[in-house]
Amino acid sequence: MNVTTKEIFKSELPVGETLSIKRTRFEGSRQDEKKKRISIVSGIHGDELEGQLAIYLLGRWLNENPDKLVGIVDIYPAVNALGVDTITRGFPIYEVDLNRSFPGSKDDFLPGQIVYALTQDIKGSDIAIDIHSSNIFLREIPQIRINKEFSHSTLPLAKELNCDFIWIHDAVTVLEATFSHTLNSLGTKTLVVEMGVGMRLTNKYGDQLLLGMLNLMKQEGIIECEEVFEVRTPFTSETGSVAYMNAPKSGLFVQFLDHCAIIKKDDKIGDIVSPLTGEVLAELKAPCDGILFTLREYPVVYEGSLIARIFSTNK
Amino acid sequence: MKKIEILRIESLSRAPLVIEGYLFEGSDPEAPSLAIVGAMDGDAILPLFCASHMVDYLKNTINKSKIKGNVLIIPSINHYALNIAQRFWPLDKTDLNMMFPGYSEGETTQRIAAKVFEAISGYTYGINLERRRDPTNCLPHIKLFKSGYEDLDGAKEFGFKIIHHSELRSIDTVTLQYNWQLWGTKAYSIVCPVDNLVDKNISSQIHQAMVRFMDKVGIVDHKIFNAYESNVITKKNLKIVKAQKSGIFIPAEIVGNYVVKGQIIGSIINSLNGEVVSKIKATSDGMIVCCFNNSLILENAVAFRIANIR
Repeated sequence: MNVTTKEIFKSELPVGETLSIKRTRFEGSRQDEKKKRISIVSGIHGDELEGQLAIYLLGRWLNENPDKLVGIVDIYPAVNALGVDTITRGFPIYEVDLNRSFPGSKDDFLPGQIVYALTQDIKGSDIAIDIHSSNIFLREIPQIRINKEFSHSTLPLAKELNCDFIWIHDAVTVLEATFSHTLNSLGTKTLVVEMGVGMRLTNKYGDQLLLGMLNLMKQEGIIECEEVFEVRTPFTSETGSVAYMNAPKSGLFVQFLDHCAIIKKDDKIGDIVSPLTGEVLAELKAPCDGILFTLREYPVVYEGSLIARIFSTNK
Repeated sequence: MKKIEILRIESLSRAPLVIEGYLFEGSDPEAPSLAIVGAMDGDAILPLFCASHMVDYLKNTINKSKIKGNVLIIPSINHYALNIAQRFWPLDKTDLNMMFPGYSEGETTQRIAAKVFEAISGYTYGINLERRRDPTNCLPHIKLFKSGYEDLDGAKEFGFKIIHHSELRSIDTVTLQYNWQLWGTKAYSIVCPVDNLVDKNISSQIHQAMVRFMDKVGIVDHKIFNAYESNVITKKNLKIVKAQKSGIFIPAEIVGNYVVKGQIIGSIINSLNGEVVSKIKATSDGMIVCCFNNSLILENAVAFRIANIR
C-alpha cells in the first residue's frame, strides 16, 4: 500500500502562516488497470468534527491492514481547515458556507477557488462520502441524506453504510451549490452522512460509520478481506414520514427524553422555561409515535428553533 | 406616516425583537407603490442609514401631497445582529437573505423572512438595500439576477453608473430579490459598499438614486437632477486581479478610477519584514469596480475587479 499526502490547495495567509488543504491517498499496491476510487470528505463545516474521527478510524484501519486495500481511498479530513481549528462553521474572513459555494471556479473569490480545487481533485472518483455532524444545535442519529434526483444510483450504496436512517429528499434548487450535488452531477456517486452533533465526538458513531465504510468498500471491490462486516438495516423516509417540532416560544429548552428514544404520541419531550420568572412557557409533547432521531442539543431557543424530528413508519 | 409592527419575537434574555415598517400612504390610488428593505445583516450600516434617512426625507422634506404612491420602508430586519456587531442572525448564524420567501412554520429566520415577505408583497416596486457578500469595497450599483423576471429598463431609472446583470446561481433563488420578482414585484438590489462608518458621499448617491427612481416611475412628484446613463455589466465585461502574494494590501487606486492594462494599481507588503513582495498590475483597461477592503490579504484572493465596456 502506498500512502501519500498532497496539498490540493494552498494560500499564504497575511501573517506568517499558510492555509493548506490536504488529501491523503491510500493506494493498494496491486497493479490493476483501473482501480476503484472512493473519496471521503469532512470538515466542509468547520464546527463539525465527527467526520474527523470517522476518517481517523478508517486511516488507522488501512494502516493496520495494508494488504487488504486493492483500490484507492482518498481522505480529506478538513476542507475548511481554518474553520476546524477555530470553531468556525463558515470560511473565516469571508463568512461564507463552503457547502453553498460549489462548484466554484479558478476566478471565483477565495472560498470559490477552494471548493473548485476540491471538486477537481475528487472528480473521477467512483464514490464520495461527505461526512457532516449536523451543527452545534442538534444531535442526529447516523443517517444518509439523498437527493431524489440521484437516488437511483446512490440508494443502493447508502444501504451498505451501516447508518440507521436514509432520508431521501426532493430536489431543492439552493442545494445545487453543495458538494454532493456537484459531485453527483459530475458522475461520482456521492452520499452525505449526518451524525452526532457539532463541536463534539460521538465514539460509537465513529465506530458505526467505520464499519459501514469498510462494508461499502468491500462490496465495491476497494478492499478485499475475509472479514464480514455486518451492517444494520436502515429505516428509510420512503417507508414513513418525518414530523418536525419547532419551538412555539422563545426560552430555555429542558429536555426530558434521550436522543433516539422510541416514543409514543403525547410523550413529553421537554419544556421551554423562563429562568427569570420560574414559569413553564410551553410543554412540548410528541405529535406522533416514532423514533426521536433529531433532538435539540443547544438549550437556548427562539420561536421557531427546531427542537426535534420524529420518524414514524407507515401503518 | 404610520408605523406598523411587522413582527415581534421574544427572546430568552434580550428585549423582544420588534421589526417595524414606516408606511407613507400616497395621495393617488392609481400610482405605483414601493417597498424598501434596509439592513438584513449586522454590518449593513449603509443600508440601515439609507433606509432610515429615506423615512426622514419622506416625512420631513417632501410635501405629503407629492407622495403619490404608497411607500413602505423597513430600515432593519435584523436589529439583534446590528446591536452586537455580528453579521448574521446571532444564534445560528444564518443569513436572512437566504431565507426567502420564508416559511411561517419553519425555523426562526424562515419565520422572520415569511413575515417580512408577507408585509412587502404586492408592491409594484421593491428595493433591497444590500451589503456585498464578500469583503469588498465597490461602487454603489444595481444588481439584477438574470432570472427572466428582472426589469433592466426600470433599473436604469436610478441613474447609477453601473447595473450588474449577474448570472443566477442556485443560492440566489432564496434571496429576497429573486422571490420578490417571482411574485410580481419589480425588485432591484442596491449594492452598498461595506463600511462601518457612513460615507456621506456614497449614502447621498444612493439616496438621490432612490428619489430619482421614485420620481421617474411616478411614486413621488419630486424632481432631482439626472445622473448617469447606466452601463449594464455582465460577467464578460469583468476581469479579476488576484493577489499573487499574501501580506498587507496597499491599493494605489480606488473604485471608480480608470486604469490601463499593466498599470500598477496596488502593492503587497510582507507583513513581518515590510518589504514589497508583489506589485499588482491591472489585467485589463477599464474602471475598477471592486477592491478588497481588508488590509490583510490572502494569496489568490481577488484584489480588484475591473470592468470594461468596450
